[in-house]
Amino acid sequence: MKLVSIKYFLKEGFKNIWINGMMSIASILVMVCCMILTGSAVLMSVNVRSTLKTIEGKNSITVYLNKDVSHAQAAKIEEKIKAIPNVSHCEYYSREEAVKKYEEMLGSLFDILQGDENPFPNAFHVTMEDFSTYAYENTVDSLKAIDGVGSISDRSETAKKLTSLNSLLTSAGFWIVISLGAVSLFIISNTIKVSMYSRRFEISIMKSIGATNWFIRVPFIIEGVVIGLISAVISTGLLKLVYDEAMIIINKIVPFRGMPFEDVALPIFLGFTVVGVLLGAVGGVISISRYLKKEGGDVVAW
Amino acid sequence: MTKAAELIIGEVAGNHSMIELQNITKIYDNTTVALKDFNLTIDDGEFVFVVGASGSGKSTLLKLIMKEEEPTGGKIIINGTDITAMKSSEIPYLRRTMGIVFQDFRLIDKMTVYENVEFAMDIVGAGSKEKSKRVPYVLGLVGLSDKARRRPSELSGGEKQRVGMARALVNNPHMIIADEPTGNIDPSMSYEIVELLGEINKCGTTIVMVTHDIEIVKKFPFRIVEISDGRVKNDVGRRNKGV
Repeated sequence: MKLVSIKYFLKEGFKNIWINGMMSIASILVMVCCMILTGSAVLMSVNVRSTLKTIEGKNSITVYLNKDVSHAQAAKIEEKIKAIPNVSHCEYYSREEAVKKYEEMLGSLFDILQGDENPFPNAFHVTMEDFSTYAYENTVDSLKAIDGVGSISDRSETAKKLTSLNSLLTSAGFWIVISLGAVSLFIISNTIKVSMYSRRFEISIMKSIGATNWFIRVPFIIEGVVIGLISAVISTGLLKLVYDEAMIIINKIVPFRGMPFEDVALPIFLGFTVVGVLLGAVGGVISISRYLKKEGGDVVAW
Repeated sequence: MTKAAELIIGEVAGNHSMIELQNITKIYDNTTVALKDFNLTIDDGEFVFVVGASGSGKSTLLKLIMKEEEPTGGKIIINGTDITAMKSSEIPYLRRTMGIVFQDFRLIDKMTVYENVEFAMDIVGAGSKEKSKRVPYVLGLVGLSDKARRRPSELSGGEKQRVGMARALVNNPHMIIADEPTGNIDPSMSYEIVELLGEINKCGTTIVMVTHDIEIVKKFPFRIVEISDGRVKNDVGRRNKGV
């Protein structure tokens, strides 16, 4: 393709977007909404997965004692825990400490939640030497067998919950992407159809002079691609704002170190760009091909 | 070799007929007969007026030559190439061998006169160097050099049609197809338009001009083909190339 033609195509493509202002804005908005929803699903899934990894790498668990266990009884239980072969370290974590910690974290919000009674049981942080699945589960079983031990914050249970959350996110995300992708495609191809109708006079002249269908098509495809690109840029920016804000709120409730947006910004932006460009190009091809096959072929009887 | 390539080479090969319609029938929607058993040969370098009442089949003839419509039966040969068997992807290259002049000018008002003509060269992928030579040249040919920067809406009908002719000429076509080129023009200016077409014809370009303006046809010594009810009713003044 000649350089002159490329210049012409770009100029015409951008002109289409400008002439077709409101429709272009509408399709950019729809695409941005689709991309932000998709991006949110991806970010949630990424965070869940990274949390899963941290949990699996953890060699310490929290052992909660029954509520009626006193500090003195707890000391005896500590001895028993330390006697288990795989336990390398055992640290007492009293209910008073737990209250203090949550008070610091939640501030006034905690007062409302707490009521009068301390809801926390006494607990131990237990660290293991070998935390491969077999040794880990054996140790958990031995801990459970000790009298006075209530529940154990077992990594496999948390992991199970997170895994099911992750698969829910993945399947929901899949359908979100599919349906919103279809909506975007529909909007984009309609936008391009409108801009084509507004230029049908020029198209008929071009056909009479001997423009190939590709020559007529390219500016409209560029229009779609540029709409896709603009949407990708806006979506990435907005998603960062939304994500950072959401992280602040989540961190107030649960102590949770989420993935910083910057770590995933590039793949997300590239993903948006590829999807935006593809949708734009496909939308352009669909609408212009249909048009050229039908009324766009008329030259004399325009 | 593609049909498109044959079209370009046809002239070099010394083929003397530019347009040949053999036993053409065109029926619309299975009922309306536009042309029946239509035969017409136009030689390379000829100037032909095609006249006839509206509905006689003139427009259909043009559409068939430009391959905007397919004939129901028969064969069309343009510059030695059978276009009835041509693939649709080759139609643009067929149209590049013909310049088309419309009754309603079909100029783009967002563009200047110069840009309207240049646009035709953009479409065939001409380079800027080529364009900067060729566009002023054809504008000079139609006598509009001094109005190159004007918009079509600022021009008279006659001037607009001259822009249309410049655009048709700029890609150096084998033939010019003019569809009622004087139809929207002040009668006093019509003569000048046809005269200009005659000048173009002198350089060897085949001209087919469809018109129902009998007065103007009478003023020129060119071949006249009269169509009536889908057939050639009269064909007078045919000449051979180079006469």
